[in-house]
Amino acid sequence: MVKEDKLQLLRDILLIDDREVAQAINRRIETITDTIERREKLSEKVDPIIEERLKLFVEEIPLSLGPVITDTLKKQIAESKDQVVEALYPIMGKMIKRYIQSEIELLSENMNRKVNDTFSVVAVKRKFRALFTGVKESDLMLSELDAPNVNEVFVIQKGSGILLGNLSHTATVDKDMISGMLTAIKSFVEDAFEGGGQDLEAINYELYSIHIQNFHTYYIAVVISGTYTKSFENKLENRLLKLSKSLSPRISTLTKEAIDGVLIEFFKKWRVQKK
Amino acid sequence: MEGTKKIVLLGQFGVGKTSLLRRFMTNVFEVDYKTTLGVQIKKKEITLPSGKKLSMIIWDLEGFSSVSNTRTSYLIGSDGFIYVFDLTRPVTYFNLREEIDYIEKNYPNVCLKIIGNKNDLKDSSSIEEYLANKNLKVHGFCSAKTGEGVEEIFRHIAFKIGSNE
Ligand SMILES: Nc1nc2c(ncn2[C@@H]2O[C@H](COP(=O)(O)OP(=O)(O)OP(=O)(O)O)[C@@H](O)[C@H]2O)c(=O)[nH]1
Ligand SMILES: [Mg+2]
Repeated sequence: MVKEDKLQLLRDILLIDDREVAQAINRRIETITDTIERREKLSEKVDPIIEERLKLFVEEIPLSLGPVITDTLKKQIAESKDQVVEALYPIMGKMIKRYIQSEIELLSENMNRKVNDTFSVVAVKRKFRALFTGVKESDLMLSELDAPNVNEVFVIQKGSGILLGNLSHTATVDKDMISGMLTAIKSFVEDAFEGGGQDLEAINYELYSIHIQNFHTYYIAVVISGTYTKSFENKLENRLLKLSKSLSPRISTLTKEAIDGVLIEFFKKWRVQKK
Repeated sequence: MEGTKKIVLLGQFGVGKTSLLRRFMTNVFEVDYKTTLGVQIKKKEITLPSGKKLSMIIWDLEGFSSVSNTRTSYLIGSDGFIYVFDLTRPVTYFNLREEIDYIEKNYPNVCLKIIGNKNDLKDSSSIEEYLANKNLKVHGFCSAKTGEGVEEIFRHIAFKIGSNE
């Protein structure tokens, strides 16, 4: 091939290619503008319609679907009451527990001190007893720990929480304040379970149980250490019923000293822990 | 029980109920605000003019927005109410009329005393005017911070209740 021809050929190829590329690009641009233009035109017409429909739809949802949704929810909640309660219960329970714990801290602090103080003495006694009786010390310990024991008795006016009478062998914690606190705790718990007419019957606190028995204008709280067994509870309940028979008719006229006297007489045969 | 009386401190959040009680019990003041949860109970014995002793069991309740939505079981069996408002916060005494009406209707036999606290922060004269216009009788003004009028309000209510015997 001559030089001239080669050059021509090259020019041809280049030119043709150029034109084809230009054409392809043009076509592309055309379709793009076309779609854009058409879309714009389209949406101009369509958008208001969609908007209107959407507005209507939003307005209609609460009316048409609302009741259906509410009904479904209501039904679901009603049908799964247990789950709802289950979900709420721990929260409520924790709230109450925390409240009781903080309120009773003072009481328990003192009681724990009492226990610690006496444990040393008790321990020494136990060692001697084990030595002389041949019974294993741990067995003695268990029997001691097990036996429920009346530590304190409070007769408290309902509502005001004012202490009417009390049997106890410690003077460190103010009994008037304890009876106020007990009453506050009691009404808090009773209010918390709005079902009405439910009385708090016992408070358990680590080593102690507080048995509560309600009468018309007053209630009796008994602080018990050791294992608070059902049979002991029964015994105690009967005992307190008996006590109330003698107390109730004259509760408003008796002085605190008189009621204290009645309590001493009544719990004479019971092991009230002497300090 | 004769010789023992239940007195309840009432009022909105942060008006200074606990501070007043602390001042009365131990004669101290704390700047820190620790809101009361539930109730705390204190006891103080005072001697009446007759020479008799009176044990005051004082219930310091958590604040409320209105006495009508506080726990009624904390209020029943009371001998006296000390209703505290905060001189620096009108919202704590704007509803006093309704509060008094509610208390007098529901607890007609309970001795009610109303007191404005924090008078170390605010002069009470404009408030006195406001209360007079509304025909509201308050016992007086006090400050848990300076101690002014604190002992007096507790003694006053104790004497009042003690003499009702
Ligand atoms: N300057 C001044 N501050 C006071 C006075 N009394 C109370 N305070 C402050 O006000 C804040 C609230 O006081 P509290 O005694 O906790 O109020 P409260 O009425 O018991 O509050 P709740 O238990 O939440 O209802 C605390 O920061 C106190 O230091 C007062 O007489 N003067
Ligand atoms: Mg408080």
